[in-house]
Amino acid sequence: MKNCDQFRERTEAYALGALDPEERVALEVHLASGCPDCTKAVEEARWLVSQLAYTAPEAAPSDMLKGRLLQTVRAEAQSQAKPHAMPSKSAIPFWLLAGVAALVVFSIYSAWNTRRLHDEIREANNRAAELVQQRQKIEQELLLAKREATILMDPSSVNIALKGSDAQGPQLKAKWHSEWGVVVMGENIPMPSPHHVLQLWFIPKAPGKMPMPSMMVRPDANGRFVLLVSSPPESMDATKALAISEEPEGGSPWPTNPPRYSGGVS
Amino acid sequence: MRCELRLDTQVRANHPGHPNCRFRRIVLEERKKPTLVLLAAFTSTGPREVSPDATLLPRLLQKDVSAFEQLYDRHSRLVYGLVLRILRQASISEEVVQDVFLQLWRNADQYDASRGPFVPWLCTMARNRALDRLRLKSERQRRREDQPDELPSAIVAPEYEKVLDDKRRAERVRALMASLSPQQKKAIELAYFEGLSHSEIAAALEEPLGTVKSWIRNGLLRLKEGLQATS
Repeated sequence: MKNCDQFRERTEAYALGALDPEERVALEVHLASGCPDCTKAVEEARWLVSQLAYTAPEAAPSDMLKGRLLQTVRAEAQSQAKPHAMPSKSAIPFWLLAGVAALVVFSIYSAWNTRRLHDEIREANNRAAELVQQRQKIEQELLLAKREATILMDPSSVNIALKGSDAQGPQLKAKWHSEWGVVVMGENIPMPSPHHVLQLWFIPKAPGKMPMPSMMVRPDANGRFVLLVSSPPESMDATKALAISEEPEGGSPWPTNPPRYSGGVS
Repeated sequence: MRCELRLDTQVRANHPGHPNCRFRRIVLEERKKPTLVLLAAFTSTGPREVSPDATLLPRLLQKDVSAFEQLYDRHSRLVYGLVLRILRQASISEEVVQDVFLQLWRNADQYDASRGPFVPWLCTMARNRALDRLRLKSERQRRREDQPDELPSAIVAPEYEKVLDDKRRAERVRALMASLSPQQKKAIELAYFEGLSHSEIAAALEEPLGTVKSWIRNGLLRLKEGLQATS
């Protein structure tokens, strides 16, 4: 058998009980694989080691030990000679009962362990799904951020200034890239009324055509917001202007208020 | 602690490749331990001297107290000497010896002694039990799970082995041990009588691990060669 040499040189130490756990386990695994030569070597090594008993100086145990032993042995021999005096012995040997009991305990443990493992696997799967979702969300955000950056940096993007209805008020800026979409940014924007949002509209060039509703936003505490419209409802060529009006929360299919900001698409 | 000693004669069927081998399996069970198996096997192909033990052991089947007493008288000095050398305390050593002999008595009905290397088995069991007591005394908190079974799994007397009485055998083994280097002898004794592992012996002797391994292996091989040569 392959690699037997390394095991064979440990058989004496194994029989002696001197192998450290790592080497002992490796040898036992090898023996369990059924190597006949190493098994025989170990069995003979045990005989060799047993001979070391003779190196201990012989000593006589006390007579009391012999007396105790013989007393016990005689009593047991007599009780065996009168089997009717003995409690009836079960036909099933103790070891078999112990084995069955161990099997039952093991089965219960296995069932419990299986259930626990199932729970752990389910929990792990849930955690994994959450992580996948988080990752997808982050990737989505990253993609949007990249798109925003592209729109803002690309020289071919068209600048649009959205002026407020109040000439003194803040202005909004927008950039429209024919391929990537529109980004609208605002700073120091007054908050819309409670339960209201700012909604972006695309005003078509075609006469009589209604403003096309787009995204909604509420500025942050500093009055800032950035809106990215990846797929504008109208092309740049067909759009006359962008406008923002205050609309009820959830948005509106058509403007219900006059625009607060607007700017022509040149 | 009560043990049951059983013999499994079916084991021969597990070893069909060796027609000359004669096997006896002795299963030792204890309440507190998993089943331990001692496989006493022989590779005898020719006539061999018959030990008196071989005639005494079957008489235990008939619960022959006199046979038990003779076995005790024959081997108790050797077994007690070994256990006392390990435990160094007379009262505990006697408890272990009592346990070993009672085990033999109570389970003799399943033990076929005619083919068994009885004394090696008896000594191995006594040593294991004594080392177990030693660990209980001094190392309760560690190592127990790391140890091999309390009882040997299998013992095979080599081809060259012949039956000697205890006295002649003791003289032979002692002479061979005395011929080893002091370091080899010390390392083997620490392993055999103290139950120490290679690394524990290396620490105790403050010697490199590899050196200790060599001492033990070379010492045992020399012992083996010596036993072979004097057979």
